[in-house]
Amino acid sequence: MLGNWHQLWEIASAPDNVPIVALLFLIPFYIWYSFRQAFANDELIAKLEADPAAAKTAHRKTQPYQPKWEREVHTWPYLLRVEFIAAILVTVLLMAWSLTLSAPLEEPSNPNVTMNPAKAPWYFLGLQEMLVYFDPWMAGVVMPTLIIVGLMAIPYIDANPLGNGYYTYKQRKFAIWTFLIGFIGLWVVMITIGTFIRGPGWMWFWPTQTWDAQAVQFAVNRNLDQVFGINGAWLAHLMPAANKDYAPILGRMIFGIFPVALYFILGAYGAYLVMNSTSFTRKIFQRMTLLQIVTTDIFLVLMFSLPVKMLARLLFRIKYIWVTPWFSI
Amino acid sequence: MPEIPPQDDPITSRPMSLLVLISAFALLLTVAWSLYAEFFGLRPWRSYQDQFRVVYSEYLQKQIGQRKAQERTFFATPTYQKMKADVQAALAAAAPMDRELQKQIDLFDAQRAAITTGFQTSRGKVGAVTYDLEQTPESDKSGKAAEMKDLAEAKAQTYNVDWPTATGVESRKMTADDLANTFTSIMAQRAALVAQRGDVDKPAKDAQAALDTYVRENLPGLGSSDLAGLAQSVQNLDIKLRQINVNPPGTQINYIGGVGLVDRCQSCHVATDPLVVPVVMTVTKADLGLAKSMDAPFTSHPDPDLLKFHPLEKFGCSPCHGGNGRALDSVEKAHGRYEHWLWPLYYSANYNAGCQQCHASDAITEHAPVLNNAKQLYREKGCVGCHKFQGFDNQDELLVANRQKMLQMESDKKADQLEIPRLNKLGDQATNNDAANRYYATATNLTVTVSNMDAQEEQLENRSHDLQQEIKKVGPDLKEVRMKINKEWIPYWLQHTHDFRPTTKMPQFRLQSDEVQAISAFIWQSGITGPALPKQAPGDAAHGKVLVESRGCLACHSVGEGSAMVGGTFAANLSRIGEKDNYDYLVRWVHNPRERTRPYSPFEKRDLGPEDYAKHNLPFVFDLDHSRSPNDGHELVVQQPTVMPSLRLSIEDSRDVASYLMTLKHADAHYDAANFMDDPQLKATGKTLVQFYGCAGCHEISGMEDEGRIGTELTNEGSKPIERLDFALLTESAKLGVLPDGKKSPRGVWYDLKGFFENKLTNPAIFDTGKYKPNPQDRLRMPKPNVTATDIDALTTMLLGSTDPTLPPDYMYKPSDERAAVQQGWWIVTKYNCMGCHQIDIGQKSVLMDLPMYQGQDKIGLPPVLTSEGARVNPDWLKGFLANPAQSTTETNRNGVRSYLQVRMPTFSLSEDEIRTLVLFFGALSHQAQPFIPQKLEPLTPAEVTMARGLFTSTAAPCLKCHATGDAAHDKDATAPNFLLAKERLRPAWTARWITNPALIAPGTAMPSGLFKRDGDRWVFSGPLPGSFNGYMGDHANLLVRYMFQLTPEEQRALVGRTAASNSGGASDTGGKREARSGSRSAEHTPGL
Repeated sequence: MLGNWHQLWEIASAPDNVPIVALLFLIPFYIWYSFRQAFANDELIAKLEADPAAAKTAHRKTQPYQPKWEREVHTWPYLLRVEFIAAILVTVLLMAWSLTLSAPLEEPSNPNVTMNPAKAPWYFLGLQEMLVYFDPWMAGVVMPTLIIVGLMAIPYIDANPLGNGYYTYKQRKFAIWTFLIGFIGLWVVMITIGTFIRGPGWMWFWPTQTWDAQAVQFAVNRNLDQVFGINGAWLAHLMPAANKDYAPILGRMIFGIFPVALYFILGAYGAYLVMNSTSFTRKIFQRMTLLQIVTTDIFLVLMFSLPVKMLARLLFRIKYIWVTPWFSI
Repeated sequence: MPEIPPQDDPITSRPMSLLVLISAFALLLTVAWSLYAEFFGLRPWRSYQDQFRVVYSEYLQKQIGQRKAQERTFFATPTYQKMKADVQAALAAAAPMDRELQKQIDLFDAQRAAITTGFQTSRGKVGAVTYDLEQTPESDKSGKAAEMKDLAEAKAQTYNVDWPTATGVESRKMTADDLANTFTSIMAQRAALVAQRGDVDKPAKDAQAALDTYVRENLPGLGSSDLAGLAQSVQNLDIKLRQINVNPPGTQINYIGGVGLVDRCQSCHVATDPLVVPVVMTVTKADLGLAKSMDAPFTSHPDPDLLKFHPLEKFGCSPCHGGNGRALDSVEKAHGRYEHWLWPLYYSANYNAGCQQCHASDAITEHAPVLNNAKQLYREKGCVGCHKFQGFDNQDELLVANRQKMLQMESDKKADQLEIPRLNKLGDQATNNDAANRYYATATNLTVTVSNMDAQEEQLENRSHDLQQEIKKVGPDLKEVRMKINKEWIPYWLQHTHDFRPTTKMPQFRLQSDEVQAISAFIWQSGITGPALPKQAPGDAAHGKVLVESRGCLACHSVGEGSAMVGGTFAANLSRIGEKDNYDYLVRWVHNPRERTRPYSPFEKRDLGPEDYAKHNLPFVFDLDHSRSPNDGHELVVQQPTVMPSLRLSIEDSRDVASYLMTLKHADAHYDAANFMDDPQLKATGKTLVQFYGCAGCHEISGMEDEGRIGTELTNEGSKPIERLDFALLTESAKLGVLPDGKKSPRGVWYDLKGFFENKLTNPAIFDTGKYKPNPQDRLRMPKPNVTATDIDALTTMLLGSTDPTLPPDYMYKPSDERAAVQQGWWIVTKYNCMGCHQIDIGQKSVLMDLPMYQGQDKIGLPPVLTSEGARVNPDWLKGFLANPAQSTTETNRNGVRSYLQVRMPTFSLSEDEIRTLVLFFGALSHQAQPFIPQKLEPLTPAEVTMARGLFTSTAAPCLKCHATGDAAHDKDATAPNFLLAKERLRPAWTARWITNPALIAPGTAMPSGLFKRDGDRWVFSGPLPGSFNGYMGDHANLLVRYMFQLTPEEQRALVGRTAASNSGGASDTGGKREARSGSRSAEHTPGL
């Protein structure tokens, strides 16, 4: 039943979830704030590019020049005083927080009774949510590793030095949109789902729907090969009699390769299209080495595999695309 | 580019001081807030202690005032004045000598002080050098020698001492040895002087002690000066965290032996700290003028006696009460009433749950009435029929285990018997001697093993016999339903259990009408049909009523409906029994409830009949003495599994009682015909249902004798994680504090064990609310127990306390001394409802005591009080008495000891084990040593015999007027047991205590007190003494006891004659029986006393 506002309040007000509720407000604010700065910068750059005379005398990137102004300002007091105020306010905030909310300690753990739902700390809820869509080896080990490696790779695949050191949208459209989709669209959204949507049995409960441990939801998932009825029969008569039992497994394995390969090819092509969509991107694309292009492609395609898999799962109840005895995707 | 109006640089010109000021101010405020939280917000106990200090001081001042007034009056009394003067005089007498001694002691003290510096220095030096000497190896000769030299020097060194003497101070030089010797001698002399001074002051001290005792005895409680001291310390009460380190673990590893708890409850509940409110005082909220306050945790512990054997430093608070003893920052946290504290404070209705945690093995726990009630209910209401609970009757399970063991043993035996010839053959064929001998030896050993097994099996059979006797079912035997019950009544009963008999123990099952039909049909068709009962002639219902009311039936049973109900609740209310029972069966039942129609063979799993006995040419006789099967020699079930004992009524009396019971019915009672009960097709369905609903937990049913309990075990139910209790669709409302009926729960959230137990007991089907269960057997099957709100509180208490112990094992109350016998005994006492008739525990009331027929003068007809039974009777005699209360194999329609009582001590046919337990129980209750060794009594001299006879028949104490003699004519007025029983039955020491002051042992007894008076260290008779006593210096009571213990029937007959003669004047006017028994008789005892 919907309309359980009491429960929603309990979830939102739980000391554990304070950072997540804060996240919901802080992230839009900072995105807006950084975009504002980026657009201001881009606007100034555009102006100065149009007016070479002004460009010669302008010495600050964000403010228009005025004759009486200092060309440079000292760290002390102009920077430090701002930092000092910030430090005080953060201290006040942390003290007030710790005074109002006690540590959310629970009872001693009992190995025989697992809590339901058993949730990871908030910053890992995204990973936990991924477990719904991938097999644990993929969601727990491969994907997190790829996330870290991908973040490490960013400086090496960046072929546009013009975007460095200040807020800009114009020079960084690709990076910003990748970030918005990967971090906000996937990571933060999954944390939010894990906090507000996932109830007992890790089942999907809409906000204000009662988290009923007795709830029964129909969610029988199938693998893609089952949807297509792949049973390896066509393989069986090609195989020696002694190994016929393995035909279904082998059949499924072979079948699974095709959609995965197709996805990667389409994905790479899509990335290629994006990279060549405007003259600006074409210029950058020209500068990139083959290794940079391939690396970018792979990480981009892998990143998008997550929403694709989520949609396949949530809308079409598809569990795995490619099933092998060792791993499943 | 448009012109920008000139402005100041936004970075350098924007002032930030206001922002800094505001932030700094915010920080300051936060710091202030945190300080407030630190000292007050998180320490609510501070204000409690503050408030307590004020109100308690006021209270103490008031107390001091009252006390002073009392003391003024008391100190003015001549006795006090005289004693006070004695003290003064003694002090004055001792003063000069005391002063002289004190002077000498002071001198010694000064001398000791004078040598202290030198003594300590020299001792230190010598010790250090000695250590070096010891550490120098033997091989290092020169080193040793050097150290020896150092040691000699250290000893030779002298110290200057200003030695005080009686006249002045003299200078002395002393070596280390001098100093040590002087020190020892000073200390010895001083000790002697102190002892001497003690002797000198002794008279004064004794007088003071006598005075103190006198004051304490006449003016109990704290004196005004004590109170003033207390008030002073309360004025200066240190507002601090008060905590108890509950049995700290000490140095053991892993907290073994310790509880590892810290309880800070006293920080708010200040009055429970014995340093603040001494144990001799009690303080309530009302005392402090806060009776109405809901926020005044200032009551001292309401049961200080309990704390005497549960000392705070060992038990703390939270181990018994629950709650989070460490938490202090809010009432909710400290009481542990939040989701994550697994041991919340028990609510006041459930306080006794704390007792159960350690006293789970007790049937009766002192100071825990709610828990005791719960345990009785658990058994009486048949909870135990479905729910196993460690400690409660489990003889059925033991018996099944026994049987398994026997079967296993038999198959082992068979295997061994086959093995023996094989081994012998192997031995014959062996190639060498060693191997052959080994085979032969193994074969021989096996034969011995087999014979040992035989012995063991015999033991198991005997144990089975006992167990079989101990098994009691809560409900009646349904095998005999065809002989006993009105057929049409059965389906009605199943559907209207609580309507038909509102006080019944049987719970109301949730049955569909087709289920009722199937169950009735199965029960009816599985009943045995014969051998037929003898036809009984009708009896006299009026006499039957008299018997029911006088023989003690009402100690367990009740008659009358609603407010007219009279009698106990232990057994069924008999009001409508006439509507359902068959007269012939009822006669047999009343005559001997344990009698069965057919014996049941657990090994053959069927009821045996005359044909089985006939096969072996045996008569169809089965009872406790003929309890082995004619077919296989195993123990049979020969009795009804009922706790109802035999009252040993004659068959005529039984008919009268049954006739009376048959009249107990509603005149308009009508039951619909139930032809379906003979439908054989329903039988199989019925059997499944009977198994499904666990009927065999309480009833004996054909084919289900070995059915186990169908419910969940409840031994550790109080530790069940809340997740394991299925609140089903009520989970959310439980968490929101909404009760199933839609009302707000008075205590808020009830998603806890208490909430589950209470609601489940109120309506076991409650957690099916809203569930879709078209098949009735998918529904929760627990039936609705017939319990009141109080009962539910009690049972909830018991379940809450039934936890997996969190305390170390040595906290569990499992005594190994005589208290173990008490613990086990209570289980038997409560099982058979001994307390229905007897008072066993001091202060406990029997059911009979409250009945209208035993009020006022009629109290005399009550069964004996057993509070000192263990000290009173010889245990060997008690064993025999419990087995056969009639004390005769032929004349059974009587009481063996108190033949004059109408109420009857029934035959319980207790097992040997139960008798043993009961005898040990009574002994242990009266702190009697085990095993019993009879006291030797000195034989009487002829002169003493004469004197005793004189006493026995004296007009001041005509013993034989009340005590029975065995002569029917005399005994019709008797109100006390026959003296001839004394020798076998009583213990002499108790008897002496009894005759000197019976009212102490049994207040209200007809036996007169004051027959003897204390003269020095002996008892002498209070009445006029017979002449033969001249010059007798022995103890009169003792003399009488010795005489009593050697009394013979001839002697007694002779005495009767003498009593009649000597009392012909005074006793012949005893008119009505009753008056003679109580009032006037005891008055008659005491002329001139």
